[in-house]
Amino acid sequence: MILFIPILAEPQRFSLAEKLIFAGLAVASVYGFWRRFGPILDKILKSKKDPGFHLFPIGRRIWDFVWEVLCQAKVVRERPLPGLAHASVFWAFCAFALVTLNHCAVGFGVGFLNPAGPIARFYFYFAAAFALACAVSIAALFGRRFLVRPKWLGEHLSWGSGLVALLIFLLMATYLAAFFVSDTAPVTRVLWWVHTLVLLSFLPLIPHTKHLHLVLSPATIFLSRGGFSQIPPLSGDEDFGLVAGTDLTQLVSLQTYSCVECGRCTEHCPAANTGKLLNPKEIILGVRAYLNDLGPASDQPLLGKYNSQEAVFQCTTCGACEFQCPVGIEHVPILIGLRRGAVNTGAWEDQHGSKLFLALERGSNALGMSATDRDKFIEKQALPIFDGTQEYCLWLGCMGGYDPKGREIVSAFARVMNYLGTSYGVLRKEKCTGDPVRRLGNDLLFQQLAEANLETLAQNKVKKIVSICPHCVRTIQEDWKEYGTPPEIEHHSEFMARYADKLPKQASPNSAIPEKIVFHDPCYLGRYRNVYDEPRTVAALAGSLVEAPRNRERSFCCGAGGGLAFLGEETGERVSHNRAAELVATGAQTIAAACPFCNTMFRDALAASGEAAPQLMDIAQLAARGLPDSGGLRETAGS
Amino acid sequence: MKIIVAIKQVPDRDAQVRIGAGGKWIEEADLQYALNESDAYALEEALQLKEKHGGEVVVVSAGPERVGSTIREALAKGADRAIHIDCDDLGQHDALGVARLLAEAVRPEQPDLVLTGLQSEDLGLGQTGVIVAELLGLPHATLILHVEKSETGLTVKRELEEGWFQTIEMPTPSVLAIQSGGNKLRYATLMGIKRAKTKDVRRVTAPELGVNAAPVVQLEQVTLPHKQKSTQMLSDSAKEAAAALVEKLKFEVRVI
Repeated sequence: MILFIPILAEPQRFSLAEKLIFAGLAVASVYGFWRRFGPILDKILKSKKDPGFHLFPIGRRIWDFVWEVLCQAKVVRERPLPGLAHASVFWAFCAFALVTLNHCAVGFGVGFLNPAGPIARFYFYFAAAFALACAVSIAALFGRRFLVRPKWLGEHLSWGSGLVALLIFLLMATYLAAFFVSDTAPVTRVLWWVHTLVLLSFLPLIPHTKHLHLVLSPATIFLSRGGFSQIPPLSGDEDFGLVAGTDLTQLVSLQTYSCVECGRCTEHCPAANTGKLLNPKEIILGVRAYLNDLGPASDQPLLGKYNSQEAVFQCTTCGACEFQCPVGIEHVPILIGLRRGAVNTGAWEDQHGSKLFLALERGSNALGMSATDRDKFIEKQALPIFDGTQEYCLWLGCMGGYDPKGREIVSAFARVMNYLGTSYGVLRKEKCTGDPVRRLGNDLLFQQLAEANLETLAQNKVKKIVSICPHCVRTIQEDWKEYGTPPEIEHHSEFMARYADKLPKQASPNSAIPEKIVFHDPCYLGRYRNVYDEPRTVAALAGSLVEAPRNRERSFCCGAGGGLAFLGEETGERVSHNRAAELVATGAQTIAAACPFCNTMFRDALAASGEAAPQLMDIAQLAARGLPDSGGLRETAGS
Repeated sequence: MKIIVAIKQVPDRDAQVRIGAGGKWIEEADLQYALNESDAYALEEALQLKEKHGGEVVVVSAGPERVGSTIREALAKGADRAIHIDCDDLGQHDALGVARLLAEAVRPEQPDLVLTGLQSEDLGLGQTGVIVAELLGLPHATLILHVEKSETGLTVKRELEEGWFQTIEMPTPSVLAIQSGGNKLRYATLMGIKRAKTKDVRRVTAPELGVNAAPVVQLEQVTLPHKQKSTQMLSDSAKEAAAALVEKLKFEVRVI
């Protein structure tokens, strides 16, 4: 029977030969690590400097580091069980830093923690608790990867991961076992050596496997561009986006080498989930493969052998990938960067894309309609013209100004503002904000549109804008900053939520059972703007809310973003059909949307389903339905 | 092949056109301008020929300072250089006057091919290209959708009425007036705009060209068109109505 001695056993004396062997192995191990890590670091550092990168304000970076790295908040939050298991391993590694230092020092006879002393004894217990959690966790993660095999981890089993899991388990087991033996027992020496060998073989494995993220991802998270989907400015006359290796910036290179291949991005990607070619993880790994093979000085194109142009243009820029990524990879700027490279140089040839660009080169709106159509709508709806005296400029956007469904939303929202007594006006002249061309990577056109609009707004002395379109809101507030100072802007959900207690709460026609409403979070309102509760507050005026399985920050795209509303969606299932089916399955009588693009996509998807579909309404239409003069009828603004 | 494309800057489709004081021309202040549509197709045809067979594409345009932006656009899309004929009172010119300016600018270039748009979106005379051919003493063909190089010269596809096409042989050098819709237009790119900065734009004046462009046709009055709406009901079965609608959209309204 082994007597339980709750003190960590350490071998007492090491012979010179042992010390020399240990030193030799340690040097070999560090060399093995550096031989691979050195070139990677070199590739990252030799990449182009990031234009517009500022280390300050640093508070945000420290907070991200503490929250996402030290607290593992994102890792745990988005995949709770494997996330907790990962966090246990991570925290054990942190706790082991001191243990490992001492362990190595013992080998040279200069151990600085006395296992019998009170402080070290406490610390070793503390580490043992983590070691135990870590051993259980790594065994569970091993089981998940090799037995459960979630499809997002990829088709191929990663034997490297299996080996690393085994090493981590051995590391913890040998540490824990040392509590059950005495200093003088021969097995103690064996445990020490096994622990050492495991440690020294683990180190060179790090840069050779995806475990490189251990070293890189804390830096990646700390240095990330921040915000959400921040598209960096182009620098100089020869920067057209990500065309070749020479365009890869240090952040892009760092991020691609940080990828841990967990597949969370793919799991949530609307393209990957509907049978498209695009797989965000593979895009990142494609760039990494390019860097491995050709390096950051290459002028070979990034699109072609390593990444497919077709895949890059299937992205809806919904940002689910970027939101999910636990190691700080900013997928959307990389995808848009690759698009910029293709569009700014004219390499992208697409019938629908060219049509959109040409429509906006010459006309004012993405729908390619005549500006007089907008005038007619304004006249018909008797929308007041903005003259500088009103509080708000009501920004119509292409959808609100030209699309039948968008016009219904604008009319409904105008009635809400009339009811509240808010003063507002619309501009006589408005151009597309440039959202679809910005996301498709046409910088020339985006700049022209942003500058023209900024000038119009300045001429009209607009101070505050409200818009029914989350894409307009995002583009005006964030993307226009590159070319001027946009006025303050908010989405109509934020406006209406602020006055929710002044808007009538609607009684159900069948008063016993309130109307069941499911709200669909638009990507550009939720993930991009962090607005989740406001539209729900407004929708709740009209009935009782139910949630779709994928909701809030995990909401599934309608398929329209990133300019894709204007392109053809030829491959696989339609994104809009996938999402509409999910919304219908909630059993709600009403689908509430808060974006004219989502509205249009679902209108078509519901019509295509052919079943008795629930009614589809924007939250503005829901709010307007309860106004005294409406009699509960739907808005029928028409064109 | 050296190709010259004559292009014109016209008021943008979305521009609110007002009649100028005097009623003889439109009010040009605050107007937005763009490249004439069929000229855009002429440029596209030229660029595609150059991409296939090599050579040079030179754009020539007559008009005031503002025409510079349209010339830049053409250079950005791939033209190699440009000739800008300074001309502040384009509205006062007739087709013969403009054709004389263009012809004299083109003559010393000795091109293999001159392309013009079929007609301008503002005046719609449809004569300029033909007169240029006459002044240069070159053969011409109009309503051209597509140009291909052949062993003896050019094979061109003309659009006739009612959906009929005609394929004819043309010699070089010659002048072709290009119809809209024969190609897919390319979009302007950031790279194109940056590259265009360094391309050569030569500016010439009517006296330098030795042209007296005084009009022989006087423009008496311009008026806004009367708006009229017409509705056609397609009342056959859904299948037949859809087919008829496609037919109309293709050949009457020409939007698909």
